[in-house]
Amino acid sequence: MANSTDSPLKSDALLEQLKQYLTTDAGKQVVKNIGHVYQINISPKKIGTDEVVYTIDLKKGEVTKGPYEGGKPDATLSFKDEDFIKIALGKMNPQMAFLRGALKIKGSISAAQKFTPDIFPKPAKL
Amino acid sequence: MAMRELVTGGAACAVPGSSSSSNPLGALANALVGSSSKTQERLREIPTSQLTGPERPFYPESHGQLPGSELDHPPFQPNEQASKFFSGFHSAADQSGLASAWNEVQGGPPPPHLREMQPGLAEFDRIYDQMPASQHQPVFEGPPQRVLSNFLHSFVETSRGGIPFHPTPLPLLGLSEGDKQCIRDRSSIMARHFFADKNEDFINAQVNALLSSLDIDSSKQVKGFQPGRFHELEDYWNESQALQRPGGHIADGWASEYSLNREKYANHEGWAQSFEQQYGANGWASEFEQEKFQLASAQQMAGGNMMNLSAMEQTRKLANTLAENNDPKFQNSKFLQFVSKMSRGELIIDDNQVKPNSLSPSDNWASEYQQQYSGGLPWADEFVSNKTNQWADEFAEGKQHASDDQWVDEFSKLHMQDWVEEFGQQVGEGASGEADNWANAYDEFLNEQVAAKGKTDASNGIYVFSDMNPYVGHPNPLKEGQDLFRKGLLSEAVLALEAEVMKNPENSEGWRLLGIAHAENDDDQQAIAAMKRALDVDPTNLEVLLALGVSHTNELEQAAALRYLYGYLQHHPKYGALARPELSDSLYYADVAGLFNEAAKMFPDDADVHIVLGVLYNLSREFDKAIASFQTALKLKPQDYSLWNKLGATQANSIQSADAILAYQQALDLKPNYVRAWANMGISYANQGLYEESIKYYVRSLSMNPKADNAWQYLRISLSCASRNDMLDACDSRNLDVLQKEFPL
Repeated sequence: MANSTDSPLKSDALLEQLKQYLTTDAGKQVVKNIGHVYQINISPKKIGTDEVVYTIDLKKGEVTKGPYEGGKPDATLSFKDEDFIKIALGKMNPQMAFLRGALKIKGSISAAQKFTPDIFPKPAKL
Repeated sequence: MAMRELVTGGAACAVPGSSSSSNPLGALANALVGSSSKTQERLREIPTSQLTGPERPFYPESHGQLPGSELDHPPFQPNEQASKFFSGFHSAADQSGLASAWNEVQGGPPPPHLREMQPGLAEFDRIYDQMPASQHQPVFEGPPQRVLSNFLHSFVETSRGGIPFHPTPLPLLGLSEGDKQCIRDRSSIMARHFFADKNEDFINAQVNALLSSLDIDSSKQVKGFQPGRFHELEDYWNESQALQRPGGHIADGWASEYSLNREKYANHEGWAQSFEQQYGANGWASEFEQEKFQLASAQQMAGGNMMNLSAMEQTRKLANTLAENNDPKFQNSKFLQFVSKMSRGELIIDDNQVKPNSLSPSDNWASEYQQQYSGGLPWADEFVSNKTNQWADEFAEGKQHASDDQWVDEFSKLHMQDWVEEFGQQVGEGASGEADNWANAYDEFLNEQVAAKGKTDASNGIYVFSDMNPYVGHPNPLKEGQDLFRKGLLSEAVLALEAEVMKNPENSEGWRLLGIAHAENDDDQQAIAAMKRALDVDPTNLEVLLALGVSHTNELEQAAALRYLYGYLQHHPKYGALARPELSDSLYYADVAGLFNEAAKMFPDDADVHIVLGVLYNLSREFDKAIASFQTALKLKPQDYSLWNKLGATQANSIQSADAILAYQQALDLKPNYVRAWANMGISYANQGLYEESIKYYVRSLSMNPKADNAWQYLRISLSCASRNDMLDACDSRNLDVLQKEFPL
């Protein structure tokens, strides 16, 4: 893993954990409950700049880097690295994030509104 | 001054009991949007002749499309409807004494229909009644305030049709320089709102005409506000100006916003809670009254459309909850009104698309929209000129072009009313300090209210001290802190140690132990802040470097973590020689881990090296190696509770939650008050989908450190996942007594 001081995203770690989590029973339950494909665009500082794209496929239970290749994702969400973490860990309410412009959404509304902290495993602290 | 005070005519800015009618601009604002936000809400629902004169042909006159609309209090036939509402209100009031309640909650002058209840408000009423006349034939006579008021009204009037405003001779008004400056500034801003669709020359001409009539020197003409002083405001202004878009975008943004929220509500009511939390949950009698009307109409609807009943039921509940929120901005928000409409069955959600109820044609809807949101305010025209009907159609299709920054546009529209009121209030107050008030008011809604200053500081790496520290003045707070720490009273130890470092800011040990206490108390941000201070005093302290590496790892701040862990190696008396200066610029996990592995070969019995390795492998997410490292360290230091926790956390993060729980148990056996381990237990259960179980552990950890925000957030998620929405209130109000009783461990 080539990681250096040129700041990898905080989100990388969380998405890596999500990837593993989706293989567990609890994770499979999430897949069952959600059943959507999300593409998320994460930017280090400003939305739309230097985006890192992930696909969270909650139909198949997979997390992959890069845009969704199976067609059109149900919803595409864009945020800053910091805000993605806040939303995924329940520090920021996605609705408020949207109202403040910290979260941009494209695609299906009903899919986007299922994108909640419930999806994500919580990192334990050393 | 708070926006709310300004809006509601708080004590500081109005003559008690007469609202702000004693100043001309206040009166203007009153007459336009209602004297207080509450009246304002009413007035928009109940348009008067002032608001909907015959010159407004864009209201399609449509009567009684809704089954049961005779009970539906705002059926959007302006004048007729107003009287209907008030007669309804009066009869209710006479019977149940609601009138006094009304007066109480109004806090400002009632609409003229109720004037007999508050005879002292003749002043307001006079202005109010004058309105329609003064719109068309401005009368510039009488006391200066009245003249100014009427004059400004006529200025506003012109904006409706975009008619050029002509300078008018006025009697001497005796405006002070401050007044003039204030009027100049405000009218410039206001005009840009009114004439957003016009070019700059037109706007300047309008404003100059206004100013020359008032004998104000327009050469000091303004750009809205003084640039540079309020950067946020400036950015915001520019942004909102750059984004004049057709109405469709607003509808889109709004629809998606609504749906987002609605789903959350439907799932766990979390949505309403969060709003309530955000804005406070005070009841609002008049709003409640309105809800009853809606309820009645919704029940009428029931026969007509069974399909949408449950959705309506939900939205009605939501509308009720929302209505309890007395933030005027929120009350005026499109969103609330949208929800209200949903609850009345005027809009339905069909296949995830928002559609006007077929029983309620969309042009009716559109006119209601127009009426409610713009309420006869001047920028209504601007809005309506964006083809309201088309807008409604677009809305109905539920299209979603989530265009960038549309929310800014929407946001700026939402707060126009506030702006007008404030405009009035501030001229009333005089110019003194008005710029600051402005900035404050804007701050208030630009501000993320959740982000209390303390949190901002903490996330900026600045240590946040507790208020009211009983250990300040203690003769030896360090000793006290160490004792408390040893006894496991972490939160107390934190206070004592804070007292110590306030007394002796150069005490590295005080800061270090404070940092450790925070880490064990599950607050990494404070831990980092304290450790940084320790490092300032003692830059080579190995324990501090390691602790910083760990805390930054927890905060997912990988680069920082790596830097401190490498620092550990550099400053270590035995391993410092291994450090390679050329690495410092570009640290790679693999390189650093390689160096520590060398160190481990040199001194295999040094548990700390294995701990560092474990942390490093956590950073690179090589969990198997990390687990092995911690296990090695544990063989050397089996009594180290924090090490057991590190092992457990690593196992949990590599989805071995069952093993993790065993490790946490070991940690807690050694240190029963180890808040972090309790919280981690909760996380492990939650990650296994055992939400009920996780709740108990979160609550336990919070009972020992109620300041741990993480745990509160996680508790909230677990509560909703466990369908314990009934406990969300207790969680949001951080009511530990209730939670502990409900979820004993």
